[in-house]
Amino acid sequence: MSLNINRRDFIKAAAAASGAAVLTIPTAAHAATKAKVVVVGGGFGGATAAKYLRMMDPGIEVTLIERNKTYTSCPLSNEVISGHREIKTLERGYDGLKKHGVKVVFDEVTGIDTGKKMVKTKGGKSFGYDSLILSPGIDFAFGAVEGYSEAAAEQLPHAYKAGPQTLLLKKQLEAMPDGGKFIIAVPPGPFRCPPGPYERAAQVASYLKHHGKAKSKVLILDANDSFSKKGLFEQAWKALYGYGADGMIEWVPGAQDGKVVRVDVASKTCFTGFGEHKGDVVNIIPPHHAGKVAKDLGLATFKDKWCEVSPDSMESKGQKDIYVIGDSCVGGDLPTNNAFPKSAHMAMTQAKVAVGAIIAKVNGLPLPTPYYVNTCYSVVAPDYGFSVVHIYKVENGTWVYVKEASGVSPVTMPDKSPVPAIYRKLEAEYANGWLDNVLADAFA
Amino acid sequence: MSKHFLALVLAVGAATSVQAGDIDGLARTCNNCHGVNGVSAGPSMPSIGGLSEAYLKNIMMEWKSGARASATMTRLIKGYSDDQIADLAKYFGSKTWAPVVQKTSADVLKKGKDVTERCETCHGDTGSKPDDELTPKLNGQWAKYLELELMKYRDDGFKMVHKKMSKNARKMDEADVATSAAFFGAQSK
Ligand SMILES: Cc1cc2nc3c(=O)[nH]c(=O)nc-3n(C[C@H](O)[C@H](O)[C@H](O)COP(=O)(O)OP(=O)(O)OC[C@H]3O[C@@H](n4cnc5c(N)ncnc54)[C@H](O)[C@@H]3O)c2cc1C
Ligand code: HEC
Ligand code: HEC
Repeated sequence: MSLNINRRDFIKAAAAASGAAVLTIPTAAHAATKAKVVVVGGGFGGATAAKYLRMMDPGIEVTLIERNKTYTSCPLSNEVISGHREIKTLERGYDGLKKHGVKVVFDEVTGIDTGKKMVKTKGGKSFGYDSLILSPGIDFAFGAVEGYSEAAAEQLPHAYKAGPQTLLLKKQLEAMPDGGKFIIAVPPGPFRCPPGPYERAAQVASYLKHHGKAKSKVLILDANDSFSKKGLFEQAWKALYGYGADGMIEWVPGAQDGKVVRVDVASKTCFTGFGEHKGDVVNIIPPHHAGKVAKDLGLATFKDKWCEVSPDSMESKGQKDIYVIGDSCVGGDLPTNNAFPKSAHMAMTQAKVAVGAIIAKVNGLPLPTPYYVNTCYSVVAPDYGFSVVHIYKVENGTWVYVKEASGVSPVTMPDKSPVPAIYRKLEAEYANGWLDNVLADAFA
Repeated sequence: MSKHFLALVLAVGAATSVQAGDIDGLARTCNNCHGVNGVSAGPSMPSIGGLSEAYLKNIMMEWKSGARASATMTRLIKGYSDDQIADLAKYFGSKTWAPVVQKTSADVLKKGKDVTERCETCHGDTGSKPDDELTPKLNGQWAKYLELELMKYRDDGFKMVHKKMSKNARKMDEADVATSAAFFGAQSK
């Protein structure tokens, strides 16, 4: 990761460009406050929303409430586990948002009074709002896997919120003996980052292969029968690490008893419907749902897990003036797998749609056309990456997947010949550039 | 005019940029990868704000038709109509080119000057003076990105369109690829 980024030079250039931009922003001191917006959660969704609100209409007062002073990106955190990346490269603070005039409050939101339009925090403060944006990410349903709990996660990490959990899983991997077994338990979909567990399998295998532990095994116990970019992952696993019962990576689908229903923490054993698997390192990704603040408000109307929103504006279907974005919301066609994925990229485009809708509302203007784009890069080795692109348009009150665009990187070329290695190398490089850009677009 | 009134006008003015048409909303989805105003923050991703409208439109249309390969953009751009592509080209073409000057050693600069002599006729001696509208600016473009592009022009398995550019890229020694990319990345104007 020794790229020649020069942050100062970049900032200089960006400043020069914005001077010439359409968005000439009068300073906060001169602009009258037209409306108050509170944003809960300063992850990819919330940070983007707060920044763009201020950038596009400085007459709006924006308060962002976030639990932690430092945000750690989940995207590319699987590379931290394998040692291909330093966790520092994933961390961002909130000074960038403050420069846009966002009032940043480090506290935890404990309650929302929709009647009084008031947000309350653990620290005992209250914040009134005209519009509220919720981007609290996910919270785990710990009880859903018997024997698993917040305390158990200290032994069997989930590493599905990046930070200390990521480093714990890395440490356990490093301590694993050659010939050991690394288990990844995948919950039923929809879950955060559909390709995440499978990218992780590759990164773990990459570590094992290059650290004299090639006799080890990565076992994926899956509650589902298929997964995102399956053809690409299987091709890469096979080519790079060996795949199947005799290879380093093995995948057990739900239909073949892959779903983990119980764990025994002390013996590091996963129990499925009929079988049991003992691991040396056990990575349990527990089932999860919309962030607790959104769920407690009764907004998680989809299967009691996810929040349903209007595709025109990201406004909650249950509560006026509350917008739910990012992993907490759900939309699109789930049965055909054309629902929009829970990704950072998607959270950011949703944030921009919500911002457009709020600004229109505040200024008495018609709703702008919403645009939804997702991209997810997966990196399976330092010079091997691929991606999926989704574009959605809104028709008849729902998200429609645009088939002409969209789709995954090719598994073979149109004439069935192998894809030249340069494609995989390029997308591994683009994943790095994507990360730098999304972090800048959200936090700088 | 009172200060308050002026503030209001300014603020509404900024807000109405949301309404200026679909194009602002559409272009904001590009920011995820190309940065606000098309100034990229990631070395492998190109800055696009301030490249010429003709170049921007041409490259996007070549991807859309399938004439030209790319790793990611081809799939994305097929989701947009020809009109939207034209609007996007106009939008980013109207921005000011903002070079991200990446420092490099005096040695690389000196070598870079030599090995890019052949490039001057079309790109200008620092990459900032393209000889026509279909040639991109290279000064202060991300060096990593330029290196990857040169790799594409040099690879038989990667379908690029421009014959002369491909020929020039292939005439370079392997070692000069990174050097020339670093040279252009270090140029402010
Ligand atoms: C291993 C892994 C790999 C991934 N890779 C990719 C990838 O390559 N590309 C991609 O696009 N996505 C990827 N993702 C998914 C991505 O991380 C999420 O989709 C994204 O973070 C969602 O953004 P969000 O704003 O909804 O939630 P988050 O980013 O989780 O942010 C939520 C924030 O809200 C705060 N919060 C929650 N509740 C409260 C409260 N009550 N009070 C105050 N603050 C609160 C939290 O502290 C947190 O900072 C990956 C995820 C994982 C786990
Ligand atoms: C997921 C990230 C991503 C998004 C979103 C994205 N791009 Fe790109 N863009 C890339 C990558 C990667 C390349 C390099 C070419 C390739 O795809 O292989 C690129 C290259 C380009 C180039 C060529 C620049 C040059 O110097 O030749 C243009 C023009 C461009 N993109 C325009 C756009 C526009 C307009 C949008 C919004 C509609 C957009 N891009 C959205 C990733 C993205
Ligand atoms: C005959 C004119 C010509 C010469 C000589 C030439 N180029 Fe180019 N170059 C072009 C044109 C035209 C394009 C855009 C082509 C296309 O659309 O594929 C281009 C594109 C590029 C790009 C891609 C930039 C981007 O934003 O995607 C790079 C990098 C580049 N040239 C580097 C060089 C270097 C280095 C040399 C010298 C070794 C060189 N060029 C010589 C005409 C030329």
